[in-house]
Amino acid sequence: MQPFALNYARPAVELAVATPYAYDSGLQLNVLGDGRIAACDHALLREVGTTTSTAGSKTHFDD
Amino acid sequence: MTVLILTCEEDVTADMVVVHLNGAGVPVVRLDPADLTGGVSLSGEYVHGRFRGHLSAGGRLVSIGGLRSVWVRRPGSPAERAPQPSAWLTEEASQALYGMLRGCDARWMNHPDAARQARHKPWQLRLAQRCGLPVPATVITTFPRAAREFAERFPDLVVKPVSGAHPQDPPRAVPTSRVAPDTDFSAVAYGPTLLQRRIAKRADIRLTVVGDVLLAARKATAPDADPQVVDVRFAAPGPPWEPVEVPPRTADAVLDYMRRAQLAYGAFDFAEDADGMWWFLECNQSGQFGFVEVETEQPIARTIAEWLSRPVPEEPTEPAGSVTTAR
Repeated sequence: MQPFALNYARPAVELAVATPYAYDSGLQLNVLGDGRIAACDHALLREVGTTTSTAGSKTHFDD
Repeated sequence: MTVLILTCEEDVTADMVVVHLNGAGVPVVRLDPADLTGGVSLSGEYVHGRFRGHLSAGGRLVSIGGLRSVWVRRPGSPAERAPQPSAWLTEEASQALYGMLRGCDARWMNHPDAARQARHKPWQLRLAQRCGLPVPATVITTFPRAAREFAERFPDLVVKPVSGAHPQDPPRAVPTSRVAPDTDFSAVAYGPTLLQRRIAKRADIRLTVVGDVLLAARKATAPDADPQVVDVRFAAPGPPWEPVEVPPRTADAVLDYMRRAQLAYGAFDFAEDADGMWWFLECNQSGQFGFVEVETEQPIARTIAEWLSRPVPEEPTEPAGSVTTAR
């Protein structure tokens, strides 16, 4: 009784990497431990993959 | 005039735009509707024929009448983090927040009505056809026989979710997947199934549209790529995204799509075939762009910031004796 498309489902992979930044409500930006703005470090964003189009996310299905 | 950004705190992609808005000296208020009634508050009065409304978040207070634009990025469900969340409270909070915001003159990226419509993938396919974009042969059906007959006409098929959504109980992902020619299609009867002719692609294209600005990136298919993996989100990293020019006819069609869909932002996915034709796959009205910008250095975040920063267009004053028409 399973819909056809679910024959092709696989377990969703959640990001296991802990992001090395935290939200600063004063700046309205995520900042690194040394105070730098995370969004300005493109090498870091590439590494952590948090700006990447994903599949299987609970909330973001239109990536 | 302030830019209002509705998104979650961990949305570092939104940060990329906030940085540009800060650099331009444009006031920003960023909040997550999920934090109503905790860290986010609202109030609005309809008195003496006028409306006065305010939002408060993170110690900032902004007048709803003082908003120049609203960017709906990755907002949570209203009040979902309230001390005693409920479906009723979420609906109340949603009506209060979005109801008040809908009444203001700010420009939207994207308006909730346009966004809701644009999420329907079957609607996307039809609109793309109407705009002259090549769309791979597709069937959406609950008839196993229709699926079998479609597979006979187009033996090289993929299947993907109609909605783009993924099941959550338990959490699973449903990547675009190849369907073997001898597949048993009887389970098509248990849920609408989208089958599409597979495009033998030599590259994936992500075309990000901001207003009337087109920024396209191309990711070539690796020569040693597994032919069974068709969903770029599940493929090995392969070659990087690189900037690419948009063919003029595609550009015209995409801008037509944006106008008809009433979208200010859209992230289009195309498959480029061996002849260089771009086949429309979908348009994500809130698609990610950070991963493209960090690889290509295309100024997507800056372009979004510039769009959000534009002043609210003044209401045209009606000459005496003019006839008011519905719009």
